[in-house]
Amino acid sequence: MLTQFGATAESLSKASTMMFRIGTDAHLYDDPDDVSIAPLLDSKFESEKCEALKRLLALIAQGFDISNYFPQVVKNVATQSLEVKKLVYLYLLHYAEKRPNEALLSINYFQKDLGDPNPLVRAWALRTMAGIRLHAIASLVLVAVGKCARDPSVYVRKCAAIALPKLHDLRLEEHTAAIEEIVGMLLKDNSPGVVGAAASAFASICPNNFSLIGRNYKRLCEILPDVEEWGQIVLIGILLRYAIAKHGLVRESLMLSFEDLEIQSQEKDDPESSHLTVRKPFDGASLDICTEIADIVARSYLEGPDKYLARLGHVNQDSLGFDGSCITSATSNDDVKILLQCTSPLLWSYNSAVVLAAAGVHWIMAPKEDIRKIVKPLIFLLRSSGSSKYVVLCNIQVFAKAMPSLFSPYYEDFFISSSDSYRTKTLKLEILSTIATKTSISSIFLEFQDHVRDPDRRFAADTVAAIGLCAQKLPDVSNTCLEALLYLALSESSNNAVALMGEEEILLVQVVKSIMAIIKQDPHSHERVIVHLVRSLDSMSAPAARAMVIWMLGEYCNIGVLTSKMIPTIFKYLAHRFHSESVETKLQIVNACVKVLLRAKVEDISELRLAISYVLELAKYDLNYDVRDRARVLKNFLSHCKGFNYLEEADYRTEFNDLTYVFAEYIFGGTKKVPSESFSYRFYLPGSLSQIVLHAAPGYEPLPEPCSFADDETGHSPTNVHNDHESNEIDDSDDISGSLDEENTSDYSSESVSGEGGDSYIASDSGEDEEAGTLIHLSDDAPDSGDHDRVSVKNTSSGLMDAGELMSKRALESWLNENSDSGQNSSNLSQVQRSLARISIKDIGQLVKPKSYTLLDPTNGNGLSVIYRFSSEVSKVSKELACIHVSFSNHSEEPMCNIFLAEEKPNPSPDSSEKSGSPSESVLVSHDKEATLIPMEEIDRLNPGQPADRVLQVRFEHHLLPLKLVLSCDGRKQQVKLRPDIGYFIKPLPMDIESFLKKESQLPGMFENIRRCTFSEHLNQQNDKDEPPQKDIFLMICEKLALKMLSNANLHLVSVDMPVAANLDDLSGISLRLSGEILNNSVPCLVTLTLKGTCAEPLEVSVKINCEETVFGLNLLNRIVNFLAEPPR
Amino acid sequence: MLQCIFLLSDSGEVLLEKQLTGHRVDRAICDWFWNQILTQGDSLKLVPVISSPTHYLFQVVREGITFLACTQIEMPPLMAIEFLCRVADVLSNYLDGLNEDLIKDNFVIVYELLDEMIDNGFPLTTEPNILREMIAPPNIVSKVLSVVTGNTSNVSNTLPGATASCVPWRKTDLKHATNEVYVDLVEEMDATINRDGNLVKCEIYGEVQVNSNLSGLPDLTLSFANPSVFNDVRFHPCVRLRPWELNQILSFVPPDGQFKLMSYRVKKLKSTPIYVKPQFTSDSGTCRISVLVGIRNDPGKSIDNITVEFRLPPCVTSSDLSPNYGSVNVLADKTCSWTIGRMPKDKAPSMSGTLVLETGMERLHVFPTFQVAFRIMGVALSGLKIDKLDLKNPLSRPHKGFRALTRGGEFQVRS
Repeated sequence: MLTQFGATAESLSKASTMMFRIGTDAHLYDDPDDVSIAPLLDSKFESEKCEALKRLLALIAQGFDISNYFPQVVKNVATQSLEVKKLVYLYLLHYAEKRPNEALLSINYFQKDLGDPNPLVRAWALRTMAGIRLHAIASLVLVAVGKCARDPSVYVRKCAAIALPKLHDLRLEEHTAAIEEIVGMLLKDNSPGVVGAAASAFASICPNNFSLIGRNYKRLCEILPDVEEWGQIVLIGILLRYAIAKHGLVRESLMLSFEDLEIQSQEKDDPESSHLTVRKPFDGASLDICTEIADIVARSYLEGPDKYLARLGHVNQDSLGFDGSCITSATSNDDVKILLQCTSPLLWSYNSAVVLAAAGVHWIMAPKEDIRKIVKPLIFLLRSSGSSKYVVLCNIQVFAKAMPSLFSPYYEDFFISSSDSYRTKTLKLEILSTIATKTSISSIFLEFQDHVRDPDRRFAADTVAAIGLCAQKLPDVSNTCLEALLYLALSESSNNAVALMGEEEILLVQVVKSIMAIIKQDPHSHERVIVHLVRSLDSMSAPAARAMVIWMLGEYCNIGVLTSKMIPTIFKYLAHRFHSESVETKLQIVNACVKVLLRAKVEDISELRLAISYVLELAKYDLNYDVRDRARVLKNFLSHCKGFNYLEEADYRTEFNDLTYVFAEYIFGGTKKVPSESFSYRFYLPGSLSQIVLHAAPGYEPLPEPCSFADDETGHSPTNVHNDHESNEIDDSDDISGSLDEENTSDYSSESVSGEGGDSYIASDSGEDEEAGTLIHLSDDAPDSGDHDRVSVKNTSSGLMDAGELMSKRALESWLNENSDSGQNSSNLSQVQRSLARISIKDIGQLVKPKSYTLLDPTNGNGLSVIYRFSSEVSKVSKELACIHVSFSNHSEEPMCNIFLAEEKPNPSPDSSEKSGSPSESVLVSHDKEATLIPMEEIDRLNPGQPADRVLQVRFEHHLLPLKLVLSCDGRKQQVKLRPDIGYFIKPLPMDIESFLKKESQLPGMFENIRRCTFSEHLNQQNDKDEPPQKDIFLMICEKLALKMLSNANLHLVSVDMPVAANLDDLSGISLRLSGEILNNSVPCLVTLTLKGTCAEPLEVSVKINCEETVFGLNLLNRIVNFLAEPPR
Repeated sequence: MLQCIFLLSDSGEVLLEKQLTGHRVDRAICDWFWNQILTQGDSLKLVPVISSPTHYLFQVVREGITFLACTQIEMPPLMAIEFLCRVADVLSNYLDGLNEDLIKDNFVIVYELLDEMIDNGFPLTTEPNILREMIAPPNIVSKVLSVVTGNTSNVSNTLPGATASCVPWRKTDLKHATNEVYVDLVEEMDATINRDGNLVKCEIYGEVQVNSNLSGLPDLTLSFANPSVFNDVRFHPCVRLRPWELNQILSFVPPDGQFKLMSYRVKKLKSTPIYVKPQFTSDSGTCRISVLVGIRNDPGKSIDNITVEFRLPPCVTSSDLSPNYGSVNVLADKTCSWTIGRMPKDKAPSMSGTLVLETGMERLHVFPTFQVAFRIMGVALSGLKIDKLDLKNPLSRPHKGFRALTRGGEFQVRS
């Protein structure tokens, strides 16, 4: 503090301002590092520590990286002062991930604090410990959370519930079951506060594990009003999803109004039942439901609009058509009834999010007549705060579109206030034009009239557009609208003549646009309007408005006497003004010329001819080529078809049948199909973020498939399974019937299709095959295991709540694809890892024989054969280069000279007949960067039968397309293709098993990919040479597998582990670990093979790759799976 | 769930950042956000949900401070907005207002509060009364103490008992020397008067604010003489909803101190207490403006704090306004505010003047909307009457007090 009061005048003035801030932490924020912090941290006085920590916090607030103080700060975690503790915790949480090793030092203190008698200390310790995201301590945290979930203090239990998602976020599959178990326990808690937090944990950990909800459904509904507001928001959503998954949609609800109509129409054929379908008018006013939109809304909610829209191309209307079993009734189903009952008082909540969530439930589940209930609370939300107003309006807009009658009595509440933001204003306008009825339209118009004179011209223009919409919707008022608009157009155009401003134009253009839209509906009755507009043409200066008026003139030139009378005069005027018009208007004038001529009566033609030909002549020499071109084309039309130049000839009409005339008529005549109003079909669940941003935000999930959750009313069958299986997750999801799973998997496939286009990495055909392959592999599995796969896919989909993985769609997808296996795999591993023995395979290096490929065979190469194989040696030139041994041999009779391999020059040689016969590789990747080649030494002379070896060094840059090379021999050039092998884009990275495991644990989640394949090579060998009994069969197979790996990919064999307790013949659990690093960026790449099966059968190998470069890892994985599954040669 | 909260000053400076989950959000997002604000103008400040290339942003602006929250995944946007509003409320309550300096001066408290209010992106404790028990607000005593001793802790050593009780908004063992409870009806009148001088819409948005200083665990019931006037209602979580559904009686265990018990709306009122009549007559490039203010329906109490605000249309180049009562202030952004204060008894305030239009403009064709503010003490214009307030388990008879107040809300007069 005293340091602030320096002697200089400057600091004195500073000091005087400091007086007001005295006693606050102001000086700490302003100059956090004006004293050295380190000694303060080591001080023995709490106050000095505290000050130091505050200074650190100030630095964090200002965005400095001060993680270097970490060790010193961690020491202070042992303090008794709660304030110091709190500050240390704040610091720890900010930097723990950056300094994992030092963070581990604090764990002991947390453990100690967890046993503290003060619940606040326990809660803080738990919150901080869980917040330190370290895999190493995950199991410790899990134990702590489990303990705290049974804590006597409500606050600690609540913190335990909130800590669960933190733990789940680490994505440790072995903990999933335990985490879900704790969630289930906390959902049963007596305290509403805990239930709320548990609900949020449920939503982010396992939102589809409905069995957890099913057991407590009634109690959760009853406790709902007592849960605190934030928990209510989440819990309402969960209960809604459960009710739909369990019971399906409600027959009387809006979601099924479309079906309802169909049923009605069917039933109407049946005279006996027709009396049942007579709908009672409600409150005197019938329920006006826009069934079409309601139907789209319902489908979008259930399927997600992206999928729905994708399917729209081949609509089959019955796809929603449930058989009766998926429909329930709000009156007879208790679960639905209680849900509606318990959510309706929440419509009075202070929290707008709660109100909207409750309204959403009623919107989807309540009988149509009862939806009215949500209207007033929703409208009342508009008064709560400016920020929420916009969000609420976005949701009301959807409701109003589907069911205008709900809001139409409350139109006054959507009247615009000048304090609204522009976006709010436009939303209100849209809603108003949606809900306007015959009775309310007059007051709405009065409002609109006021807005037209608003200083914000953009808003005024939007108002005009809204007037146009209303007039189209309610034909009764279109005349009034038109008159008002016309008046506006005339007065606006006169204004414009005086002061032309960019903003003013907007309004005029919009006015004319609206008038045009109204006239389009019934041109014949609005002739006078057109005349008025045309007469004011001279004062209109906005080119777009002029163009539209001229369009109308041409389009409706013959609808009445008045128009046809004035046409000649108008064209004289237009001809006169033509040179000063804008391009847009000129084009319309030229068009109008043709239309008029096509439709004009014979007697007028002569009068028009002069003006029109003058216009066309002018247009022909216009500065703008577009105008010139069009004038030429149209002139041609006219001269041919109408005898434009020979009007005097009596028989010109005969030429009307000319083909060009037909064209002209086709283009300009005919009734235009009015393009239907662009309509936003994107509907997302009410209250969701996606509804506001109008795209599916990551993690957005539509409603679950109705009735997809079959409850186990018949005495919890899964509990039997429970004991056998180590994983709770699997059996909990077992009772979810297949339809839900199907829905989920299909969701992913559609996603991957949509992702395909944007991905630069997977582009070639075979790549897609690979993709398809993995998907098929997923669903075509044996029924039982496949079920498990899909279940875990679904469970990971709950992990969408996790944000990190959502950064890249590609990464997410791949992760989803592959993780399905990892769930099972890790459970296998956990079974197996109890006792392991290490097998050492010696001398494997010498046995490695890299596979060789043919670059050129003697028949194609005039006797020259070229064979290449990837070599494991590391290039001396640069570490990014892969070495390839190329062997040349001369099979012909004559010697060959000047053999040389070089990169193909940009101009491709025509000779492309050559096709390499090498086995088709996975050509996966296309990349913009070109592969480059270090040229090899030239072979001067190759005698018959003589071989020669050379080393090529190529920088592939992850380029998986064949590398085109030119082989020159004796002056002839031949194109050859070198197929890259991703297995050699890496080089061995020697490491020991400990560092391997450590590295592996640092690359979880999206960096980890798993695929499975079968390996059968060992079978041949066994059959071939009757196994000598002394040689261990396990060793043999491991060796075989390792050899296979090493001869196809440039890896380092880290270890071979086998379970000690393994049976004689059972190979399950053997795992091979290999490591390598990517050539050009030295990113480590870890491969783990895990075997399953017995010696006598083909082995099931699951290959796991941990690599930071996910895409590379995936490609390598595919390659490994390919060559492992390859039949032995 | 929210991933990060930033507090930004009105110049775009990041005052503080609080990372909420393991998925760190880089500060760069604030630069992106501020650039958007700069390029798209202030209209973006009013958009609560923005989708940036990497995150979805929620913003709430209070007194120049932007509360910015980021997420990458689906979550109810209103939840984020409500939470940010709650943070803003709590902070301004703690710091006695909100501005850049206050936040900087008390950044440690802000951090501690945020840490209690939200955990892992999910709101933890948002009830102001409990927060006050966990983290002491800065006050004169603690400030002086900290100067004298150089050390005070504002972090409480014990967990507030309320977190465990079934009424989480109230301490269980409260003792007050004076047992008193005050009920205020605070109403705001929203009215729109259109160009023709007709009342388009006139309604009351009201709040029942209670200041309770009662010992023990009091159970209160509040009933209204005319509950039928309510159009819409919303309640504090402490209100039991069943009795309201049945007999429209408010039954509740109040939090300690000041809180909003309920808010309501009364629609379709017939008249406003004051009138404002603007008039424009334009002729050859200038425009005469005259605004008259007067009492239409005397509410019986004096009307004060009257101000009339409007924004001159962009086509007006200069203005010369003179009132016969009060003072007129024209700001750089062409906002004119006419402060009248208390309505004079003897004359009707009026303001007149000339506006000079842009060259070439003959007459004014766009007209501003006038915002009117006023205050009437002692009257609830909605006509709502409190019938009685009962205490079910009285330790000693409390002192009860009732007040009413009406302010101008969105009171707009179009011209």
